[in-house]
Amino acid sequence: MDNEEAKFILRAYRANGADAADPAFSAALEQAKRDPELGRWFEREQAFDKSVANKVRAFTPPANLRDAILAGGKVSVRPRLERSQRSWWRQPGWAALAASVALVVGIGISWPKFSRANEVKRFGEFAMNDMLHAPNHDAHGPGMGQLAALVSDATRKLSGGLPIEFEALRANGCRTLRFGGHDVLEVCFERGGVEYHVYVMKRTGKTHAGEVPHFHETSDGAGSVVWSDEKHLYALVSAKGPDALKAIL
Amino acid sequence: MADAVFTQLVDRFYPALYRFALSLARSEADACDLTQQTFYVWATKGHALRETEKAKSWLFTTLYREFLRGRRRGERMTALETVPETEVEQATLAPEALSSMDADVVMSALQDVDEGFRAPLTLFYIEELSYQEIADVLEIPIGTVMSRLSRGKTQLRARLTVAKQGAASGGVVKFEDFKGKAGHG
Repeated sequence: MDNEEAKFILRAYRANGADAADPAFSAALEQAKRDPELGRWFEREQAFDKSVANKVRAFTPPANLRDAILAGGKVSVRPRLERSQRSWWRQPGWAALAASVALVVGIGISWPKFSRANEVKRFGEFAMNDMLHAPNHDAHGPGMGQLAALVSDATRKLSGGLPIEFEALRANGCRTLRFGGHDVLEVCFERGGVEYHVYVMKRTGKTHAGEVPHFHETSDGAGSVVWSDEKHLYALVSAKGPDALKAIL
Repeated sequence: MADAVFTQLVDRFYPALYRFALSLARSEADACDLTQQTFYVWATKGHALRETEKAKSWLFTTLYREFLRGRRRGERMTALETVPETEVEQATLAPEALSSMDADVVMSALQDVDEGFRAPLTLFYIEELSYQEIADVLEIPIGTVMSRLSRGKTQLRARLTVAKQGAASGGVVKFEDFKGKAGHG
């Protein structure tokens, strides 16, 4: 092996030493120990790699990404655990067959709607899971009082949308999460002794639900509903289920 | 229990997956989407895998596939197998000079490397995967990974050298073919 061949191999040797036990590098490493010129080159190469790796590591994910991943993921895990309790026609094999047939029939004419429906469903799941699992919902800053009073007003129906100043609320410290790369604001409120959480994101091409609310109920009785107005997509969730949601929509 | 395993998996890998996604997608929002989507796919399909090491490769593979799937039709990958001579000549940056550079500049330079080199190069610098595992994730031969790492490093050095020179002369660094700087908060 000449030095150029050794360099070619050693360029794939990670600077954190994770490849130290890999025999594929043994001969090239030995050669770098024996040959001073190659040794100096390797030392500088490792210093360069270590420095780049440190710079890359300095990029930390946005603060809310972890919560958003957990919110989206846990809801998806749970139904698979309940497989044995399902009716035969709800078993994955049959469901997959039925879904395939439905998909083939429907895909040509309704792909945009399908995609949008999927996003809307995910948004509802995201909101539901955040309500169930987030450790606190208290990150409400100044300026939240007006909105809290608005949504708590027993005479106000929410399905017509809310006069939300999205940027101002976010700037004022409204609890902000991330869903699909977008900021989502969350407001908690109470009506008639029932606790509700409303999640709001700016509407995009993929994320509008239409004016007809989309309801979903979990096996333990909690409920979510997703709808949109001209500007925003909303998810309203409550542990008390769809009836409690319908009462204020 | 399943929730606890999922949480552990997220905590273990989401920062590295996010960095890989940020390098590929070149925008924070798209990187978040890709990372989220990867774990969403895991939650719906992949969680039968119990070994952490297999889960690691699976997650990186899935993220890369999601990235390729989401790329706009017609936007082809530039998998160059050679680095222009001018870039080889520019690749003179010393390690000491690199350590004083901002992480933003380094990430921008990495994001500007041709995509065919950038994916293996980023995985290499994330330091989670060996070159064999990188080959598995990107579904390319091991020899191709080694070759792309070698050429990718040359290209990265060239871009960092230009950035360093630009900063030294007080000028604005503008990478060729740069499509969007990552927002980083």
